[in-house]
Amino acid sequence: MSDELNENILSLFQRLLPFLTSVLLLFLSYVPIDFLLLNSIRPAVGLMCAFFWLQHRPDLFNLGTVFLLGLIDDLISMAPLGSNAFEMLLMYVLVNNTSRLFNAKPFVVLWYGFAILSLVAMLGRWLVVSVYYSQFLPLSMLLFSYMVTIAVYPFVSVLLAFVQNNLIKEEG
Amino acid sequence: MKRRRSLFLHLSQIRLLAKKFALVILFLTAFALMLVNKTDTVVMDKTSGVATGVLSPLIDLLVVPARMIAKGYDYFSDLRQIHKDNIKLREENRRLNTIYDKFRSLEVENKLMADLLNYVTPPESTFVTARVIAEEGDAFSHSMIAYTGDENVKKGQVALADKGVVGRVDKVANNYVKVILVTDINSKIPVMVEDTRVRGILSGDNSTMPKLVFIPLDAKINIGDRIVTSGVAGVFPAGLPIGKVVSVSKTEIAVKPFSSLEQLEYIKLVNYGLEGVLSDGDNVSSGETR
Repeated sequence: MSDELNENILSLFQRLLPFLTSVLLLFLSYVPIDFLLLNSIRPAVGLMCAFFWLQHRPDLFNLGTVFLLGLIDDLISMAPLGSNAFEMLLMYVLVNNTSRLFNAKPFVVLWYGFAILSLVAMLGRWLVVSVYYSQFLPLSMLLFSYMVTIAVYPFVSVLLAFVQNNLIKEEG
Repeated sequence: MKRRRSLFLHLSQIRLLAKKFALVILFLTAFALMLVNKTDTVVMDKTSGVATGVLSPLIDLLVVPARMIAKGYDYFSDLRQIHKDNIKLREENRRLNTIYDKFRSLEVENKLMADLLNYVTPPESTFVTARVIAEEGDAFSHSMIAYTGDENVKKGQVALADKGVVGRVDKVANNYVKVILVTDINSKIPVMVEDTRVRGILSGDNSTMPKLVFIPLDAKINIGDRIVTSGVAGVFPAGLPIGKVVSVSKTEIAVKPFSSLEQLEYIKLVNYGLEGVLSDGDNVSSGETR
């Protein structure tokens, strides 16, 4: 009985790991570490996690999780509430409609894919928030943030791949 | 029995529909949140405050290990700089000592003059030093979360760094505060040019340099002019340094804040005893739209 309970808890923990690691990385992205340029230009960690997990473990990272992650990002940030969630949902739609193109492809292809999809998601959010404030937000800041996001993606994906390969047990 | 079955079918159909339209529902929820946020209700403000109180301690837990790693890197990269910095600091110290002496004599002179004119000095300010635990600066917002350890901090208090104003307290939750930086699109501060006393509004636009707006058409603004708070609206006292003009064009005047907003570890939250137009639970702020 106790073994069964332990197994259930372990299984639940493993199922929650994609979400938990994403939240952890999201929190870390807000920590002011005064390291290189990361303080002034924050990478979009939420988008990286969403892309990775939706590509590799869509069974553990569903629509609700994507929305929740966006909402948490919204609550920490001072950006309009709901704008991060919107961006994440946009990423979800984009990944769902293009996942066939990236199936079993080498990492470089995935990286290119992320570069294109994240640009669309970020521009989508930029447009919505610009409408919200009735003025265009600085595109240069968005561009820098985008470039940092693309540059950091391989490191984040290595970390998440480690979690996926070593800490999450395959079903069945 | 039939009724139960039909009810059961009905519920399952609703669930099926909800599942089918979940994406649309969530998109609409995101838009609804933005709309509610735009209307700036007290409920939204309080909900956001509670969320800050819950999430901030979790981020705070990560600050120490993350900073230790970053500081380890900094330690080795800074070793080369130490000797140069030391010489520069000695020189600066000598210069500051001279200024300090002048300041002391001016202070005494000022007191004597004030006594002569029977001038009533404004109430003294109190402050709390807060540790920055989270920072964000991108195209969408510029803010920080800081740990105060004091529950007496109020919305609207001025946030100062070593060289001047960096922002103001926007949300207070337990021992944490959310500070809206001068570069944020929601920040509008009444300012003036220190030398010419020309007044205007320093308006953030989510870039690294806020812009000077609403200045008289005939006003002469030059590169290098120091911008200080004007004290209009009663949120910020007059004379606090903010930054200096770095570019003047026909369409905009950009101001570079004196303090590096991306390298703040500690900030001072000062209560000048000015209520102004900002207070907890208020919806109206000094021109802010949030």
